[in-house]
Amino acid sequence: MLKITDLHASVGDKEILKGINLEVKAGEVHAIMGPNGSGKSTLASVIAGNEKFTVTSGSVTFEGEDLLSLPIEDRARKGLFLGFQYPVEIPGVSMANFMKIAVAEQRKYKGLEPLSPAEFLKLMREKSAIVELDSKLTSRAVNEGFSGGEKKKNEIFQMAMLDPKLSILDETDSGLDIDALRVVATGVTRLKRADNATVVITHYQRLLDYIVPDYVHVLYKGRIIYSGDKSLALKLEKEGYDWLINDYKE
Amino acid sequence: MGVEQLIESGLLQPFCGGVLESAAHPAVAVNPKSLDVKVANGVSARLVLLYTTSSQSVVNIDIDRDASLDIVAIYAADSYVSVSVNQSEGSVCKTMSALVSSSNVTYNYALNGVGAESVFNAVFVVEGREHSTLNLNTRHLTSDCKSCSLVKGVSAGNSTGEFHGLVYVAPDAQRTDAQQQSRNIELDNSRIISLPQLEIYADDVKCSHGSTVGYSDAEALFYMRQRGLSLAAARRLQIEGFINDVVSRCDMEGICSVLHDAVTAKLERL
Amino acid sequence: MLDICGVLFTYYNRLFGEKLLFLRDFRIMKENSQDIIDSLESREYQYGYTTDIETHTLPKGLNEGIIRAISQRKGEPEWMLEMRLKAFRHWQTMKLPKWAHLDIPEIDFQDIIYYAEPKQRKKLNSVDEIDPELKRTFDKLGIPLEEQMALAGVAVDAVMDSVSVKTTFRETLAEKGIIFCSISEAIREYPELVRKYLGSVVSYADNFYSALNAAVFSDGSFCYIPKGVRYPMELSTYFRINAQGTGQFERTLIVADEGSYVSYLEGCTAPQRDENQLHAAVVEIVVEKDAEVKYSTVQNWYPGDKEGKGGIYNFVTKRGICRENARLSWTQVETGSAITWKYPSCILAGDNSVGEFYSVAMTNNYQQADTGTKMIHLGRNTRSRIVSKGISAGFSQNSYRGLVKIAAKADNARNYSQCDSLLIGDKCGAHTFPHIDSANRTAMLEHEATTSKISEEQLFYCNQRGISTEDAVGLIVNGYAKEVIAKLPMEFAVEAQKLLAISLEGSVG
Repeated sequence: MLKITDLHASVGDKEILKGINLEVKAGEVHAIMGPNGSGKSTLASVIAGNEKFTVTSGSVTFEGEDLLSLPIEDRARKGLFLGFQYPVEIPGVSMANFMKIAVAEQRKYKGLEPLSPAEFLKLMREKSAIVELDSKLTSRAVNEGFSGGEKKKNEIFQMAMLDPKLSILDETDSGLDIDALRVVATGVTRLKRADNATVVITHYQRLLDYIVPDYVHVLYKGRIIYSGDKSLALKLEKEGYDWLINDYKE
Repeated sequence: MGVEQLIESGLLQPFCGGVLESAAHPAVAVNPKSLDVKVANGVSARLVLLYTTSSQSVVNIDIDRDASLDIVAIYAADSYVSVSVNQSEGSVCKTMSALVSSSNVTYNYALNGVGAESVFNAVFVVEGREHSTLNLNTRHLTSDCKSCSLVKGVSAGNSTGEFHGLVYVAPDAQRTDAQQQSRNIELDNSRIISLPQLEIYADDVKCSHGSTVGYSDAEALFYMRQRGLSLAAARRLQIEGFINDVVSRCDMEGICSVLHDAVTAKLERL
Repeated sequence: MLDICGVLFTYYNRLFGEKLLFLRDFRIMKENSQDIIDSLESREYQYGYTTDIETHTLPKGLNEGIIRAISQRKGEPEWMLEMRLKAFRHWQTMKLPKWAHLDIPEIDFQDIIYYAEPKQRKKLNSVDEIDPELKRTFDKLGIPLEEQMALAGVAVDAVMDSVSVKTTFRETLAEKGIIFCSISEAIREYPELVRKYLGSVVSYADNFYSALNAAVFSDGSFCYIPKGVRYPMELSTYFRINAQGTGQFERTLIVADEGSYVSYLEGCTAPQRDENQLHAAVVEIVVEKDAEVKYSTVQNWYPGDKEGKGGIYNFVTKRGICRENARLSWTQVETGSAITWKYPSCILAGDNSVGEFYSVAMTNNYQQADTGTKMIHLGRNTRSRIVSKGISAGFSQNSYRGLVKIAAKADNARNYSQCDSLLIGDKCGAHTFPHIDSANRTAMLEHEATTSKISEEQLFYCNQRGISTEDAVGLIVNGYAKEVIAKLPMEFAVEAQKLLAISLEGSVG
């Protein structure tokens, strides 16, 4: 589904991704771990097309199609979802209106008829139940005044609404208490199907108790330096990164 | 529902000046040439000012001790208007204004009584060859008063939008809390002029103002596009959100939809 | 590096006659309470004395005859006289500007002496030949003209009243092709350069005081940095108003040719006087393509006494024009003068040019200041930054006034302005008058301002640690002004820091 080959990317003069290779197939769950500043969030941003970063070489394909030549919104409409580590506040724009436009744009792109208002409201109700999102929040401005937990739930709610093929969840567990973590993680697992895939970026094993990964990758200094199965996450939790990164320290 | 229907249905009470009593429905003055308003001691009242034809208008408002007044003013036609509000001890005045035409509107708030408070929200949306000017003078004349104002403007076409704000703090008006914000988005070949000014003669004060022109939150645009919105749609939504952020603070039943419709209709013409 | 540290340390020791040990690690911004206490102990205006030098003056008043006499005395060419007369004729049609938030007493322009020249025995060739009386004045001011200058790497064009007395480092500068001399000399020796640039940034018709200055300017500095020359040392001019009843009309012209760099310092002290003295200077800066100019000022002229009697009226027009990729940075610390009317500005004419304005303005007693900047964005991708810190104490009035203008063709212009005011005492005023005018949709402008007093919590915290309220205020004010003072060259940063504390004295009850 997603194939990344020797991806290099930089911000300004600073190279952050230094040759990433990764393949994600339908039905798989990948976890990306690594110390702070290793490039995890940059990788997510680059795949989604954030213009802050410049891709200097390498390729990214999504279902066989070159992703890097597409604008941000077309990547999204093709079924790529990025759950933001810090969801952005958009004052004055209600969640409901925001989602209405997003769903309509996606359906138009796919050549589908727009949803009737009744259908849309039904969809909103259904999906917000998945993450136990307070229905009042959908009438408030996007992420404005939301608590940390509400923001993350709101990300998963939007993921449910847009039904992506590939979801990249950037530290969706950060800043969550135990209960919110359970709700968010359970929400993600409920959306899991054989025809979609998930990449979770996280620091902690605890999220992976809920969202069990097929592969765990360690990103360090802009490269994937080690890959393993779910037991790798447990080992990292116990022993830290030192045993892995010692060889790479300059 | 239009204003006429609101009046007919009794949701708005026609008003041509005098003492405002606490009433079930807001009082409405449509295109008044001059209007003298008094809000009696301890009363909570609501007032709607509507300018639907080209007009010149002088409005004087006295808010008595511990009284409160909510004002919604819509300038839908070219108007030259001055609104002066005199506030006594402990009074509160909340104003929501929308300029959607070539208008020159001046608000003068005199905070005369200890502990008086003014909350001012306004938007202006101009296009074509329109030229709108909003003057806001908030005078803290005694101690412990509070004022908070937020003015947002969008200009498009060849229009000009102006904001002239002044917070004046008199000598001895200690413990003043005054905040003033002016935010603007400029489109096409339009022009924005903003003069957010402070004149302060007391020291125990918390005063601040800010003014911005231009609005392109790259992160917000990225976020919206990541959810599938086109760049143009994301920008448009940003502008709507920018203005709605103010308009949505209106909480006066009935008239809010009129205000919202007037602003939305104007935004659609940009 | 160590050597330089030592040398500078010696320099500051001599300059202030105090142990400025904290300079050793170059951490000049470090608050040093003892230093501030020392300064606060000197209760009277430090630089309040006059020198007994015989002065050659023209009679009071202003007419074409006076202007012709000034021009003649300076041995000016005909075109210069014509420029002066044109300015004078225009000035006669102009009115005093009244828009500033200032209460200016009536000025009788016919009751001012427009030209005074300290008498000199002969042309000077070396430092030793300077009038000993003059030299003592400079020494008292803390401007050692001799080896201290060399040690600190400062070339000084010291102006005593209206005629340049001495220029150091002329030969060294000449090697690099840098011209640094008095404007009168430049008019005589480099007429084609002066003629090309003089009045090109600040026209005589610009305002009342620029017209007056163009008509009667007595002297000032001229500086030309040739193409590609990046001068590593600071060029410095100290002004000093001396003769009683003499208005000072300085004219400064700085031209930084393509790809050059210069840092220019202007410092001023004036002796104590009872009657007001008018000062209307003009500073013009031309920053050609890829060039950079840093212009720093510490202004501590006599502010008048505690009752508001006397003091300098400082009505100055300072402006620079930036060509493509050029950069102009104004930094000012204003603590002196009874009345200040001053707006160092940048015309960002070239694409990608940058303008900066960093200001600390402190007023105490009955001082009035109306100061700020204008950033005129004409070119594409132009950027400007304004940081203004106002401090008002006593009965003073302190205003920031600024214009940020984005022309229709100035695509992607950016401005950030931060204007803070600090009030010390409840009888003073702090005002902020920004004017933002944008005619380009790609502009991004941001202006922020706050006004507050020194927080009780901060004072309590300092008191609890055994610091007196007066010292605490000195510390807090210096911390507040730090962002601006940090932009000053080292030579000035120390002086500025001390001046802030000195100017505050008596303001805390």
